Amino acid sequence: MPALLQITEPGESHAKEACTSCAVGIDLGTTNSLIAIVLGDGKPHALAVDEGGPLLPSVVHYGEGGGPGSVVVGRRARKLAPEFPRDTISSVKRFMGRSSADPETRRLSPYRFAEGESGVVRFVVDGARVVNPVEVSAEILRALRTRAEERLGIKVHQAVITVPAYFDDAQRQATKEAGRLAGLEVLRLLNEPTAAALAYGLDKRSRGMFAVYDLGGGTFDISILQLQEGVFEVKAVGGDSALGGDDFDRALAEILLEGQERTPRKVREAIDAAKQAKEDLTRVEVTEAMGKRITRAQLEAAIRPLIEKTGAPSRRALRDAGVPDGKGLDGVILVGGSTRVPAVRRYVRELFGMEPLADIDPDEVVALGAAVQADLLTSESPQHDVLLLDVTPLSLGLETMGGLAEKLILRNTTIPARATQEFTTFADGQTGMDIHVVQGERELVQDNRSLAKFTLSGIPQLPAGLARVAVTFQVDADGILSVTAKEQLTGVSQTITVKPSHGLTDEEIERMLLASIEHAEEDVQARLLIDNRVEAQRILKAAEKQLESNGDLLSPEERQQIESQMAAVRAAAQGGDHNAIKAQIEKLDQVSADFAKRVMDRGIERALKGHSVGEFDQGELSPHAKKAYEALRED
Amino acid sequence: MSTRKCWSCGHEHAAAEPICPACGKVQPPVASGEQLDRFAVLGLKPSFDEPPGLDEKFRALSRKLHPDRFARATPQERRYSLEQATLLNDAYKTLRDPVRRAEHLLALRGIQGDPKMSPEFLEQTLEDREKLMEAKLAGEPLDALAAGVREKRDRTLRDVRALVEDGGDLAQAAELLARMRYYARYLDEVEGRSAEL
Repeated sequence: MPALLQITEPGESHAKEACTSCAVGIDLGTTNSLIAIVLGDGKPHALAVDEGGPLLPSVVHYGEGGGPGSVVVGRRARKLAPEFPRDTISSVKRFMGRSSADPETRRLSPYRFAEGESGVVRFVVDGARVVNPVEVSAEILRALRTRAEERLGIKVHQAVITVPAYFDDAQRQATKEAGRLAGLEVLRLLNEPTAAALAYGLDKRSRGMFAVYDLGGGTFDISILQLQEGVFEVKAVGGDSALGGDDFDRALAEILLEGQERTPRKVREAIDAAKQAKEDLTRVEVTEAMGKRITRAQLEAAIRPLIEKTGAPSRRALRDAGVPDGKGLDGVILVGGSTRVPAVRRYVRELFGMEPLADIDPDEVVALGAAVQADLLTSESPQHDVLLLDVTPLSLGLETMGGLAEKLILRNTTIPARATQEFTTFADGQTGMDIHVVQGERELVQDNRSLAKFTLSGIPQLPAGLARVAVTFQVDADGILSVTAKEQLTGVSQTITVKPSHGLTDEEIERMLLASIEHAEEDVQARLLIDNRVEAQRILKAAEKQLESNGDLLSPEERQQIESQMAAVRAAAQGGDHNAIKAQIEKLDQVSADFAKRVMDRGIERALKGHSVGEFDQGELSPHAKKAYEALRED
Repeated sequence: MSTRKCWSCGHEHAAAEPICPACGKVQPPVASGEQLDRFAVLGLKPSFDEPPGLDEKFRALSRKLHPDRFARATPQERRYSLEQATLLNDAYKTLRDPVRRAEHLLALRGIQGDPKMSPEFLEQTLEDREKLMEAKLAGEPLDALAAGVREKRDRTLRDVRALVEDGGDLAQAAELLARMRYYARYLDEVEGRSAEL
């Protein structure tokens, strides 16, 4: 294997002197993950992190006891999978930023999901432990980081992490938080195809228009990029965030499982056998899996409909980029292990009308490009002077009357980008406005992905149609959205960064981060217990304070309900189960949500009347707005 | 031309300069409630036709202002860079597209808002769409219909150009320009069909 030679180059051990910034590029893949760095020779290198090779299988095994050594990542974890199918999570990327109600979650997989009220995917592993996809991904990132540190003999703090271009906002946020949880400063989320093009473009020193066809384990991305005058411009992206080589395996596993009982173990075996058979069939015409004879023709018949699903997004991206039918394209770059399948290459040739490029290892090319970008961002004098201009993968919009989606930022808009639109009230005296942020191309809100909902309250009472609320979307260079709603007359405003439903608050991430850095040797469980106890105390104190000062907003029944839940939190905090404490805290959060809202409304009301405003985050009034509002009240 | 002082070194420079010529620090975008001149953002003179060097200017400025260039800068500079790059991207998007560029040019000359469409035009639009629906239902090729509308679109844009360049009636230019949206939607619908395949 040539990769083995590359990764044992002598350069690595002198990384301390050799690398300028020591920021890494990470390809957090569905099937395999890689870490790469630009060394003193100015070239990106994939580091050997698992049994001498650069590919770390994205598999995490949760062993008994939950102690520090109980989590196993990579090849060893993959070996444990047949024996512990439910305690070994693979392809976790497919669950990032997704809710438990998502059909994607329910597909052929052996895992146990915790019943969650919040709609967050949680796996139950090792009997009773509950982990979410962000935490599982963080384990993979942590393994990459520590193993790279061992290899390089230096500390790694900063990283560029790649995501599929088609990842939506929730999935991007989840990835970023996984990085933070693993102790990494995420310098940039980089789209995988862009990273691949970066690796190629710099290699070839060329200018021109390129298509990147990226078919990985779990996602398909198509990007059209143009390189000229040192600027890499992404002209269009498209894809399918739930299509990849894993689907090929599943399609073949279905054939293997025909007439068999489907136990989790059996399913896992069939998928593994299918994966192996698929790899074999790239070289030979006939193979055997689970005692069945499988031909390449059989495999190709099974996966043909899946491969063809890449056609429509590809054609659309070509059209968006102004090169319909691929005329004017200078090259097609293949990325992702699934592009090794001969039927895929044949289809790509048909689709773009040219022979695709594949001279950089399609497994490594993304990580190598990410390392280049990390170097660009951190070096005083980067090895390559090139700038990447990326675009939004999906349109971003708002729900308007009748459940329609109004797009504010269209797909394929160069980022960073901003858009503002004004909305008005539809009822006399309306004081609140629900803001529902959606992502997707469809006309109806229900067909798009819901990113966030919040309410702008404190709108002055006016006849319908007179109040004006400006909603501004700002997308940063990572493709992450923040939304501001502002009532124009009073200046009442609210800003949110759209949060994914991955189940971790910023504080939790922060705390777990601290736990992982400062107490790497300590039992993480014990740490979590302490942290959750502290959190319980904090929440109880806050609740008591609010009951004291704003208790009059509650009916006796409501008050009783909150108080009994507070008792439950107190009781859990006495116990030794941090998950139980967390669960009770969450429940208290829910039970008191309405109360919190009323307290907030009261705050804004006071603010509008010109009372003390300092203690409230929202509803801050400019003197001008205050005057305008007073004038209105007198009318 | 208005000037302002650099927040960092105090050097007085043209307000439209995104980067202080003296110390090289990125500046916040000009606060502007009024119609902001997108041509000026790219250092160009307003014009109906695409300004020469538009793409090159955009790339050169992107290389200076993009947040990637400020990954190691202070939070303040990173914020300014984000705002400048956002503005630059928006200006480029406006100027690259002939219709948006023309609309912006009219806006700079004080013609804004949605003009009233003539009833004749609306009637003609309805008729065109009906024909399109019929052709779609009958499964007939749409090329000829699309070519007809494309021709109308190009002619209309030429008419707008003549009005704007030769000091004609700008309100009339705005009304003609608004028609472009109808043509675009029509053509989207024609092309949309092939994209679904």
